[in-house]
Amino acid sequence: MTEEQLNALRAQDTNLRDAIWQEEEVRPQMPADLNERLMQRVAAQQEKKPRRIVWPWIAAACAAGVLMIWLTPPKVTETDVVAKQQPKVEQPVKVETPQKAEAKPTAPQVLETPMEVKLAKVTPAVTKPAPSLLAQETPAAEPTAAPKVEEAPKNLVAEERTQPQQAPVMLTERDIPITRPENFRYTPEELALMKKQANEAYLKWVELELEIAKFDLENTAQK
Amino acid sequence: MTTDIEINLIEGLRQQSPKAQQQMLGRYGNAVFAQVARLVPAVEDAEEVYQDVFVKLFKNINMYDATQSSLKTWISHIAYNESISFLRKKSVPLIYYEDREGEAEKLSESEVEATFGHPNPETVQLIRAAIKHLPPDERAVITMFYYEEMSLKEIAYVTESIPTTIASKLSRTRKKLCKIIKMLQS
Repeated sequence: MTEEQLNALRAQDTNLRDAIWQEEEVRPQMPADLNERLMQRVAAQQEKKPRRIVWPWIAAACAAGVLMIWLTPPKVTETDVVAKQQPKVEQPVKVETPQKAEAKPTAPQVLETPMEVKLAKVTPAVTKPAPSLLAQETPAAEPTAAPKVEEAPKNLVAEERTQPQQAPVMLTERDIPITRPENFRYTPEELALMKKQANEAYLKWVELELEIAKFDLENTAQK
Repeated sequence: MTTDIEINLIEGLRQQSPKAQQQMLGRYGNAVFAQVARLVPAVEDAEEVYQDVFVKLFKNINMYDATQSSLKTWISHIAYNESISFLRKKSVPLIYYEDREGEAEKLSESEVEATFGHPNPETVQLIRAAIKHLPPDERAVITMFYYEEMSLKEIAYVTESIPTTIASKLSRTRKKLCKIIKMLQS
C-alpha cells in the first residue's frame, strides 16, 4: 500500500481516528511536578564532578618516556674513547699478526709474482680475476675493495713488503690525552715492563758500583 | 524544518542552560509523556522513562542532526526507544491479540473500510476497546499515523524501520483491529 493510499484511508477512517483521539484524551496526564523532579535530577547530575579519567594520561606519560629513552643520544663512555683510538693505533698490528702466521708457506709464490698479489686486493670477493686482466688494472682502486680470504697469504707478503714504506704512526698527546681517566692507570703489560726495566737498572747500578769499587782499589794499590 | 526558536533552544541545550532545558520540557514534555504512556502502561514506570528520555536528550544534544529529522521526530525516536527498552528490560507482562492463523488477512478491504469509514459511536467504542488488544509497537505506529499525523518516513525514523514496512504494518493493523472488533461483537 502506498503512502497516498494510506493518507486517503486516514481521511476516510473517521471511526478509527475518533477512537484514537478519544483514547488519547482519557490517557493519564503528566504529573505537574514531574518536570521539577526532572530538573532536580539533571541539576544533581551536573553537580556531580565528572570522574577524571586517568589512564590516558598514564599511557601518554609511558609513551613519552619510551620516546625519550629511544631518542636520547648515548652518552660518551670509556668504550667509545677506546673505539675511537683503536683504528689509529691498532690498525697496522691487526693486519700484521694473522698475515705473518700465514705468510711463510706462500712466500716463494709471492716473490715470483709481486704485482698479482697487490692487484688481487682490488677484485671483489665474488670471482677470482684472470691474471691477464689483473695486470691491466690500476692500483688506484685498492682501498675500496675488500680482499678475499683465500688470497690472504699473498696479500700478507705484499703488505710485508709495503710496510717499511708506510710512514710510522706517531701518537701525540692529542690522540691519547692524559686527561682521560682511562689513561691514569697502567696496564698490566706496562707494569711488567716497568718492573723489568727497574730490575735491569738495579743490576746496572750494582755493576757500576762494583766497577767504581774496583777502580778505587786499583788506585789505592798503585799509590 | 528547524525553526529559529528550535535553533536557539538547541544552542542553549548545548551550553547546558537550565533555562533552555525548562523551555524544552515546556515545549515537548506533554507529547513525550503521552508517547511514553502509550507504550508503558503503569504511570510510575512512564514517569521514570520520561525522565530517562530527557536526561538522555540533554546529554546527547550534540548528536542531533537537523538534516536527518526535525527536533520533534528526534525526540520521539528517543522516547520510543527508551520505552521499548524499558519494556524489554522490565519484562512487563502484556496481553494482546496475535493473529497466528492469519485470519485478519482474509478480511476484504471493503469490509475494513465499512467498519472504519461509516461514522458510528458504537463502533468507535468498539475500536477503543480493540486498540487495547494491540501489541505496543502496533499501537504506537497507528497512533503516530492517525493521531500525530506523521508521515511514513517520520514513523520509520522513529521506529528505526523503513517506510514500506511501516505501510504494510499499518495495513495489517487496520485489518487486525477489524478482526478484533468482529470478535468482540460476536
